[in-house]
Amino acid sequence: MRKRAVAASVLASLGILTVGWQIGAATAAPAISTSGGTAVGKTAASSAASGPAAAPAPTASAPAAATGSGLKDGTFTGASADTPFGSVQVAITISGGKITAVKALKLTDQGGRSVQISNYAAPILRQEVLASQSTNVNNVNGATYTTDGYLTSVQSALDQAKA
Amino acid sequence: MTSAQAYRTPLPSRDVRTPRIDRRRQYARRARMSDLLVTLLWASGAAAVALYLASGGMNAWNSPAGVITGLGIIAGLIGSDFVLVMLVLAARVPVIDRTIGHDRAVATHRRLGKPALYLLLGHGALLLIGYGMSTGINPISEIGPMLALPDMPLAFVGTGLFIVVVVTSLVAVRRKFSYEGWHLVHLLSYFAVIFALPHQFSDSGMLAVSTWQRVYWIALYVLALVAIVFHRFLKPIISTFRHRITVVGTETISPGVVSIHLRGENLRQLGSEGGQFLIWRFWTGKTWYHSHPISLSAMPSDSRARITVRELGAGSSRISAIPAGTPVSIEGPYGIFSDVARTAPRLAIVAAGIGVTPVRALLENARIVPGEATILLRAGNTDETYLWDELGEIAAAKGATLFKSIGHRSRGRSGWLAEKDARRGVTLQSIFPKLMQSDLYLCGPSSWLAAVEAEARALGIPEHQIHAERFDW
Repeated sequence: MRKRAVAASVLASLGILTVGWQIGAATAAPAISTSGGTAVGKTAASSAASGPAAAPAPTASAPAAATGSGLKDGTFTGASADTPFGSVQVAITISGGKITAVKALKLTDQGGRSVQISNYAAPILRQEVLASQSTNVNNVNGATYTTDGYLTSVQSALDQAKA
Repeated sequence: MTSAQAYRTPLPSRDVRTPRIDRRRQYARRARMSDLLVTLLWASGAAAVALYLASGGMNAWNSPAGVITGLGIIAGLIGSDFVLVMLVLAARVPVIDRTIGHDRAVATHRRLGKPALYLLLGHGALLLIGYGMSTGINPISEIGPMLALPDMPLAFVGTGLFIVVVVTSLVAVRRKFSYEGWHLVHLLSYFAVIFALPHQFSDSGMLAVSTWQRVYWIALYVLALVAIVFHRFLKPIISTFRHRITVVGTETISPGVVSIHLRGENLRQLGSEGGQFLIWRFWTGKTWYHSHPISLSAMPSDSRARITVRELGAGSSRISAIPAGTPVSIEGPYGIFSDVARTAPRLAIVAAGIGVTPVRALLENARIVPGEATILLRAGNTDETYLWDELGEIAAAKGATLFKSIGHRSRGRSGWLAEKDARRGVTLQSIFPKLMQSDLYLCGPSSWLAAVEAEARALGIPEHQIHAERFDW
């Protein structure tokens, strides 16, 4: 093969790869965003100052007086969290100040593999959230986006229960 | 007459002929195009990976399972890219054919075959391992859940077809097949591509709706598909119906060698350069399923063309008995064993046996000035001097020098020459004193050709000045 062809190929390929890598690195940070609810970080329960203000009303029928945990009883629907593989939305049920149920309303669903991942990851995440009573749980291996989206939505529901 | 020295046709004055063409500039243009094509080939693979990176693919590389899965995806992307490039190379696209020639396009296609298969197998294996690790099961057990994904069973079948296609194309295996049998199996690669397609869109989030990746891949698939459908199927059909070629008759010019005379319409518009070949199919009950790549042995007039064939394969022996009036379908013309490939100011031609046929047309069509070309014709005995008399006349009219070498192959030095000539001390250098400033066109059987090439290379001729056409398959 001619030297010029080799040089041009290497340069073009490296250039293209670098651009792709840079774009990927730039878009990596804000991978998960919530919509339709309070903008919530994974750990910080910040309230909505900049995000959309209209938090969905708790779907609970009779919010009882808050117990020791500071959580009102009832069922709360978390904000829908967008991931590259579709949005994730969950609802939690608080009873006696404790999270007693987590129900996935929508899971990542873009691509068959993505469905397979969310079906596998959702039960694990549900268990972890119930056990820890928080969103402070480990990432499910191989299901990073589902985990992030799931916990973001749970946190948003928890924030509503605290309010 | 078999010797150019017997008499000479008076030569025209230099300035009434076409002015000397700048071969070096012509070659520089073709070389630039060739480099561009090579660059495009590699850049397309890089683009496939870059789009994966740009869509944030690296974000999932946060665990061993994620890394293995990511590598599996990249292997699949590059593998698919190679397969599509292979389709384009096999499509006989004119710009590729005129730049690197049909034989180099096919050789590149062949070289990509095994890497493409390994990448696709690696894609499957790495994803089984990566997915298995992320869910805590072994790769073999992962096959079950994997097959449960939409379109995955089809993709597995596609992989199987790719394996069959590549294995039947390995040199050792291919020899056991007839060309037609092999070609039939090779057509499975279309199905392999089609079967692998759905899972790329349904299962991988990477080709998700409204992403640049999706746009890129759809564009690439459409390009490959259009190239194949248009150049391999539509164009031959159109040109067959447009030129309506039929057999006028066959003429035995030597034992086992026939010229087939053909009639057709607007044959000059085929645009064939002397030395190019077409792929012929003769529509009789016994011959329609064989296609024959055969060079034109003379430049066609608008209504007449001629090809000359030696009975080599099972198919060629039957075409010598083709009745007049047989309809003929064509693909082509293809190849750059023609003026198009010239790179140097002088022309040196060596042809052996039936290899003279493209040389006959090449010389007839060559835009050369007197003294530019030197030709050596080689035959085992005087029965094999096919078309030499015609070549002699053309050489005399164009002011080309013609040499001949008849007899058994030499067993010593210059093994491609006749024994008696080699013993006299004749060498490539003595026949073509200005070889270094020449384009060396070679046409003949593979082993003979390799011997000439070896001697030329030993003399230090640049690779791009050697143009070889192998006459055996």
